[in-house]
Amino acid sequence: MVREIFHVILFGGDKMEKKIEIKNVSKFYGRKQALFDIDLTIGQGMFGLLGRNGAGKTTLMKTLAALHRKKGGEITVCGVPIEKAKEIRAMTGYLPQDFSMYPSMKTDEALDYLGALSGIPKAERKKRVTALLRKVNLIEHRHKKVKELSGGMKRRLGIAQALIHDPTVLIVDEPTAGLDPEERIRFRNLLCEVAEERIVILSTHIVGDIEATCENIAIMDEGKILWKGTVEQLIENARGHIFTSNVEKRFMPQIKKEYIVTGMLSQNDYTTVRIVSDSEPDLPNTVLTEPDLEGAYMYCLHSSGCDVKGGEE
Amino acid sequence: MVSGCLAKIVSSDTRHNYVLHYLAALGVVLLTPVIFGVSRLDELLAAQPLEFFLPLMGAILMPAVFMPEQNESIREVVRSKKTPYLGVCFMRLLCGAVFITALTGAFVLYMKSMDSVVTMRLFAGSLASTFALGAAGFFASAVSDNVIVGYMTAVIYYICNFGLKDKLGVFFLFSMTTGSFEEKEWLCILSVVLVVSGFVLRRLFRER
Amino acid sequence: MLFGKECRRILTSLTFIIYCFVVGLFFVSQYIEENKGDPYIPDEKISEDHDVIMNGAVGNLANEYLANNYICYPYGFYKSVRLNEDDSQKVEECLLEVTGLTHDELMDIRDSGEHYYVEHGLQETMYYEIGELPVSDTITYERFCELMGQVDDILGGGSSYKVEDLVVTYSYVPMTEEDREAVISDLYEKDRVAGGYARLFSDYVGIDLGIMPVFVAAALVSADRRKRVSDLIYTRKISSLKLIFTRYAALVTMMFIPVILCMIAAAIQLIKYFDFNDLALYRMFTLPTFWLLPQLMIVTAVAMIVTEVFSSGIAILLQFAWWFSSIMASGAKLSGSISKFDLVCRHNTVFGRDEFMLSRNDFIFNRIFFFIAAIVITAITAYVYELKRGGRFHGIRLFGKDSIFRHKA
Repeated sequence: MVREIFHVILFGGDKMEKKIEIKNVSKFYGRKQALFDIDLTIGQGMFGLLGRNGAGKTTLMKTLAALHRKKGGEITVCGVPIEKAKEIRAMTGYLPQDFSMYPSMKTDEALDYLGALSGIPKAERKKRVTALLRKVNLIEHRHKKVKELSGGMKRRLGIAQALIHDPTVLIVDEPTAGLDPEERIRFRNLLCEVAEERIVILSTHIVGDIEATCENIAIMDEGKILWKGTVEQLIENARGHIFTSNVEKRFMPQIKKEYIVTGMLSQNDYTTVRIVSDSEPDLPNTVLTEPDLEGAYMYCLHSSGCDVKGGEE
Repeated sequence: MVSGCLAKIVSSDTRHNYVLHYLAALGVVLLTPVIFGVSRLDELLAAQPLEFFLPLMGAILMPAVFMPEQNESIREVVRSKKTPYLGVCFMRLLCGAVFITALTGAFVLYMKSMDSVVTMRLFAGSLASTFALGAAGFFASAVSDNVIVGYMTAVIYYICNFGLKDKLGVFFLFSMTTGSFEEKEWLCILSVVLVVSGFVLRRLFRER
Repeated sequence: MLFGKECRRILTSLTFIIYCFVVGLFFVSQYIEENKGDPYIPDEKISEDHDVIMNGAVGNLANEYLANNYICYPYGFYKSVRLNEDDSQKVEECLLEVTGLTHDELMDIRDSGEHYYVEHGLQETMYYEIGELPVSDTITYERFCELMGQVDDILGGGSSYKVEDLVVTYSYVPMTEEDREAVISDLYEKDRVAGGYARLFSDYVGIDLGIMPVFVAAALVSADRRKRVSDLIYTRKISSLKLIFTRYAALVTMMFIPVILCMIAAAIQLIKYFDFNDLALYRMFTLPTFWLLPQLMIVTAVAMIVTEVFSSGIAILLQFAWWFSSIMASGAKLSGSISKFDLVCRHNTVFGRDEFMLSRNDFIFNRIFFFIAAIVITAITAYVYELKRGGRFHGIRLFGKDSIFRHKA
């Protein structure tokens, strides 16, 4: 308490700048380059990392969690260089894409064990385990073994273990993949709650997750940052490039070949299609439409030269 | 605080991941008097159970150090914590070593109570063989990330001592039964080298 | 074709590569380097002379009985056995019947000779110099064997009175020049050289094949579980019987290929050191195949079922125990004593055809038994796999509350 007051007097209050700075970072797997000169600054709150499968999101997340070593560039997490892995891990909570724990451990025991690995003293650990299990709605399942938990429950356990040591930075890699809509909403709400005083980096390929929770995002593809900014800016960029058309169903295969189709709604013999295009498509009944995040994302990929198909034949 | 966490890590880890291994190692010790005579043995004959059979404890416990995290999903979670993952593995190794030493010591005392000539150098020599055999399996397991390969390597090293004694030279495990103790120093060095290099190589190539 | 795909999987697995390396290494270092055309002829031969056997056994038994210190090798390792009064009494009865002596006569013989002490650990054991004891005229060899068998049982097995080993333990007599010529003649005429070397080859390679296959088999079977693709495979159309037998066949085939390559190398070596006309080269392939293939099959089958029901660790542990006890049970007798259920059949000499023929029937029974048992066990493995596939069985866990059967969520 005294130390904190002293710190406020001397340094004006901010004990530690809550931001992650990534400058010119590259990463190789053998000879294959997975990340190319990544430049990002991530501040407090929810930050979304959007991209296709294989874009490099997980690689970047693991590098930030000090699980992978970068080659070239600099990363600092709240002022601490990434090379100080132990310090980084002390202030970072990580939920991997494919979370799992020792199957024979009970839920509370698994959380307790991971808390011990995080260096939390016993008395404190006991309190936090109960509180977190309650927070993630697993308190009634605390005596179930990990292997007996459903996919959604496991994911909740995963978020609980990532929070057990009250980290400054929370890194969650595709946390809602495979969850039902209710679980997904619950998860997002939980993340928003914890993001109030932390940096939360959420990587996903589900646009809906970003839309619901993040203000700032970056889009990745093939190991590069294609775009970074706010969600509003991304949507604004796509203004004038999202169109809706009513076309006959029999022309759909051809349309899908020629244009980027982001949505289809069939009605009798006609289909209402949503198209992303640089200019107005040469189709009947075409109307310029208010862009949404999904269309804006697809437009971003397209305008960056990515090979994007809106639908298969 | 540190000791509280350590105790929790060790007890949970042992209970959930290694009970069978410790019991198998205990089984080796309990089976030894069934297979070998342990009473009224001179030093050469007393070396037989201590060299031929007790070292199998090392082959059971040491290669399995990385086994619980063969599932990469679990490994990522454990690696993301403040306590270094290889530190947890080292603790497992240490617990195994303490267990082996205690069981070997107990067995030696039992042999002594059965009027066998058992000396300190026999006890130390047995431990050297045990750790060397275990370290061979540990190294293979660390580098290949496959516990079966670890067990295989330990068994191969064990069999070589029956058929390729001349080629093993100073790394011969059963030297005490021929009255020689020089090889034990080399086995100690081998154990240390294999364990250290196992950890180093694992960190370099697996924990990138 | 699934068989081809499974073979390819095995070919690229690290355990298989290590297996090939080990089989090759042991073959080269123990067989190739030790056999360069000049086989070692032993100095002694088995005589099967009943008198020689009975005299030898009686002398040894009397010494051990009077000292109450019996040297046994139940698992190939030295074990000194001391009997309590009751058991000692039973041994004495056997001894007295074989010798035709009375208790008092035996004690007189004991007391009339010198005695000396031998240190055994921290104790000293007193031995008596009693010279040769007579064998009763009225005792038949069959009755003698019965009594020796009883003594072996009292001692807990592994003694030098084990009936099956009496011939090889006590009937050795020095070889004469004629005997040596006969032995070499047998090698050329009866074995056609290749037959003798085929036995030796099978002996060496058989040691590896008693344990190495378990690693390859356990790794393949547990790979589905380890890589979490079990559910993907469970939902495929293929029948469990076809899948398991295909995998089994692939494992046995791939693991036998290095053995065949070794046979070819051994045959080439024979051609190098012997006149081709003296060789029945086909015996270097037929006998080792009959000898080693059933062994490989049974080890692989047991590994598969134990891994499927329990885990790979337990499969390795059990197989090691079986292999170890088989190797050690043969002890110092490296030829001439193959029994019906030996996993590893030993015959560590190019010669000894007659000794081998003594156990021929047991050997043939042994290999056919393991061949059939391997097929049956594999069929049971397929059944277990089918149960797991249908969610009716999830393996057996040795420790845990509620039940020994695993429960899946």
